[in-house]
Amino acid sequence: MRWMARRGWMYLCALAISAFALFPIYYVVITSLKPRSEIYTRTPDLWPNHPQWHQYTRVLGEGHVGRALANSLIIAGATTVICVVVAGMAAYALARLEVPLRRTLLMLILTTQMFPLVVLIIPLFVLMRNADLIGTYQGLVIAYLAFTVPLAIWIMRGFIVTIPEELEHAAMIDGATRVGAMFRVILPIAAPGLVATATLSFIAAWNEFMLALTFMNEEEKKTLPLVLQQFVGRGDVDWGAVMATSVIYTLPVVIFFLLLRKRLMQGMTAGAVKG
Amino acid sequence: MSTTSGQAVVAGRVRAPRPSAAERVTRAASKLTLPVILLLPAMTIIVGLVGYPLVKTIWLSFTDTRLGDLINGTSTWVGLENYKEVFSDEQLRTSLINTVVFGTACVVGTMLLGMAVALLLNQRLRFNWFFSLAVLLPWAVPALAASSIFKWLFDDRYGFVNWALVNLGFHHFQDYAWFADRNSAYVAMFVVVVWQSFPFIALSLLAGLQTVPKDTLDAASVDGANAVQRFWLVTLPLLRPILAVLVIFSTIWDFKIFDQVYVMAQGVPDRAADTAAVTGYREAFALGHFGTGAAIAVVLFCVLLAFSIAYVRLIGKEART
Repeated sequence: MRWMARRGWMYLCALAISAFALFPIYYVVITSLKPRSEIYTRTPDLWPNHPQWHQYTRVLGEGHVGRALANSLIIAGATTVICVVVAGMAAYALARLEVPLRRTLLMLILTTQMFPLVVLIIPLFVLMRNADLIGTYQGLVIAYLAFTVPLAIWIMRGFIVTIPEELEHAAMIDGATRVGAMFRVILPIAAPGLVATATLSFIAAWNEFMLALTFMNEEEKKTLPLVLQQFVGRGDVDWGAVMATSVIYTLPVVIFFLLLRKRLMQGMTAGAVKG
Repeated sequence: MSTTSGQAVVAGRVRAPRPSAAERVTRAASKLTLPVILLLPAMTIIVGLVGYPLVKTIWLSFTDTRLGDLINGTSTWVGLENYKEVFSDEQLRTSLINTVVFGTACVVGTMLLGMAVALLLNQRLRFNWFFSLAVLLPWAVPALAASSIFKWLFDDRYGFVNWALVNLGFHHFQDYAWFADRNSAYVAMFVVVVWQSFPFIALSLLAGLQTVPKDTLDAASVDGANAVQRFWLVTLPLLRPILAVLVIFSTIWDFKIFDQVYVMAQGVPDRAADTAAVTGYREAFALGHFGTGAAIAVVLFCVLLAFSIAYVRLIGKEART
């Protein structure tokens, strides 16, 4: 009994918070599996009585969702590749080499992460328009580099700093050049950190909405968040389609999170909490 | 120093097949070459896509700029007119107040729930793995998906929330339109924002809690402190640095929030629930008032800059130690 009094309420709290965290996700998944008649009802069931994949085949086939999925993958993928290469080089320099004004540069990079995107978007729009990049993949990828590169530099530098410098010195004594040591010694050890950084950059680009909303006026090249916004913004919302699209949109991120839980947390805290 | 000479001596052996002229160039190149090459692409991106736009936006905020002016570069200088408008126009001023009030509420909600979850996770209850997995998942849901999900949960006719509230005896919520009124829309948006941001706060605080030395807690307990006193007198003071960083971090996040508000507040009459980021965006891209939009963005930026400087100072202090 004393145990119940002491620990019982904690279990109750944990259960309530788990429910708060999981229920919306659960409810979306079951809604996406329900037929229309079970969605538009005044007495919603907490279980799909006639589960079916119809919504998924429908949005992927008829809707723009399949195309948007491909667009999102292309844009987020290209952003990630460019971002990791560019930021990796800078992160190495800032972690290992003698760079004048290093501290100032680092603090500037950190500060850029705090900027509201709305403060950059008007000139970015003009830049894109003048370069004729509105409505193109390249335009959005370039715009996404504006916020993924500083983030990635900061996180990757955090990873590289933890690698003992003696390893490089040893490699260089054994005949490797600085660049050689960078590729042959640091790169393999930093690989997990690189994967985490790549994943975080991918997620950042995958989730981005405001820049896509502004630059992607081309119907064929819209990304998933834009399609979702169009669905939800209509007067008569097709909730089955919205929920299936939400699941398709969220699933890759959830998989990344579950696979790389520890690493991502490390990366996020390196970027957000620790120097 | 020894590394440079070592590198120079032995590099010859590794790169023997290469012409020695190229090698000499590499060696003669100043110490700065490598850092500059490595930093150049990133710096180009940061200066071109962050620095330049920021300066340009500040300049635009002092001009009257329509779409045509924006493209042809023919804005007219109006001095502080846009800023006067931001603080005198009812709707624009409201959006700034909304940002501060709503943002602060979200920070408080997120921090309280995050702290509660961190303390519970730190208790290492049975099924802890399930609990930690459950509280991780909302973090993985993209903002647009989360907004859609909660718009569905708060749907007036078929939404789960109204159904549950009516069944609990609150008949007032029969067909209650959450997104037709400013305050109730804020309730829904508050739930989404807290739902999405408490996992990160909780897991960061958990990491902090695990660094609190058990000896100190035991000593306090021996001295007769109960659990509540131990929390207030031992744990909380030790967590102060990380708490400060997290409060600033989430303030920055919640003040610049755009996606959730853009999607969820669009049905509120007179756009009364819009926050500064959304109002600034709409002022520019929906109404074509690029100068006014820029001014709102700059005001928001200045508010966040104060928090950012505090944040960078704290991080810098930690990084030095």
